[in-house]
Amino acid sequence: MSIVHRPSEETLAAFAAGQLDEGLAVVVACHIEADRESRQRLRELEAVQGALLDTVEPIAMASGPSPAATAARADPVSAAAAPISEAGMPKVLRPYGLGPWRPIGIRIAMRRVEVAGATARVFMLRAGPGIALPHHKHTGFEWTTILAGAYEHEYGRYAAGDFDEACTEHDHTPRVDPVEGCTCIVAMTGSVQLQGWLGRLLQPLVRF
Amino acid sequence: MVPALALTVDGMRKAGAVAQGGRFIVLFDPNSLIAAIARSGDRAAFAALFDHFAPRVKGLLMRGGTSAELAEEVAQETLLAVWRKAALFDPAKASASTWIATIARNLRIDIARRETRSRLSQIYEILDEEAPEQPDATLSGAERDARVRAAMTQLSVDQYRVVELAFLEGFSHQDVADRLAIPLGTVKSRLRLALSHLRSRLEDLR
Repeated sequence: MSIVHRPSEETLAAFAAGQLDEGLAVVVACHIEADRESRQRLRELEAVQGALLDTVEPIAMASGPSPAATAARADPVSAAAAPISEAGMPKVLRPYGLGPWRPIGIRIAMRRVEVAGATARVFMLRAGPGIALPHHKHTGFEWTTILAGAYEHEYGRYAAGDFDEACTEHDHTPRVDPVEGCTCIVAMTGSVQLQGWLGRLLQPLVRF
Repeated sequence: MVPALALTVDGMRKAGAVAQGGRFIVLFDPNSLIAAIARSGDRAAFAALFDHFAPRVKGLLMRGGTSAELAEEVAQETLLAVWRKAALFDPAKASASTWIATIARNLRIDIARRETRSRLSQIYEILDEEAPEQPDATLSGAERDARVRAAMTQLSVDQYRVVELAFLEGFSHQDVADRLAIPLGTVKSRLRLALSHLRSRLEDLR
């Protein structure tokens, strides 16, 4: 996997600080899981937080439970085996419910990712080789991580693991790889106007 | 990189106190305290960690605008998690401070978003399950932390303040701009400069 498109420094910093909307965070996490470079950057940003913890002025705890009382609340745990995730799915999706794949056109299907804590809507999209994804405009964010295959638009080719951080007033028509097709996970905020016949089909299903 | 500080007599005994000029000086070594908890549920080691880190977690959260009450709760829960998860701590991945800061971040999210059934903290835990990167290809967690710390001392006061606020609870870049009474663009450019400075200090070590 050779990843070329990564989140901006600011996006990664907001993710590391726990400030992103959960839907956007899920899509960023799918990329981080696939990309060693972004994992390292995340560790560095977490080290910044560790450094801040070391240098901050301590504030005395109120006369709450003593350390001994705190320790008495639970026993230390040993390392647990990680649960198995659905084959081919990013591990970071484990905490979330996934809807069934539903066809929304010829050789294109979508699947909801249930992120209860999110403002952004999150879904997976699977498209057959060579098709054009719905032409659309939007007012908020549309962040995508490619899970398999690839697509291409005016800003380049996005293959498995790549992160596509499309911003406001971005107007594009991704074209799916003619051989591999494409499966991706998308988080959207704001309102989106889908255009063309495919857009009209998709519109009610994605509840914009 | 580890601050030296005086501990209680009990904590000193556990942490391995050294006599110097007739006074006890203790090198606070969180790694060995965490290891003692993992090995034998050592309560004195835990008390020493608690006394050191709980007020710092509380301080960090309050600096980010969290109420004293919530900061206290997160600090308590963070140290409880340190007690419970001591066996999972891997010094090759991160320093103790960084590990504890990430636990505090996750618990702060859980507690602040508990009405929304947020699972965000689980995402961080899953990403953390990843095995440490190839040891020859990257820095150990402790080395990386030391580098980051050294690089942070070289930030300008302005950059440091922006980084600090941007990493604390609940501050969007707009909030940082409002709080420091500087334009949003200035926040973004200072943050970008500060982060690229940190990055350049780390990159030659990869």
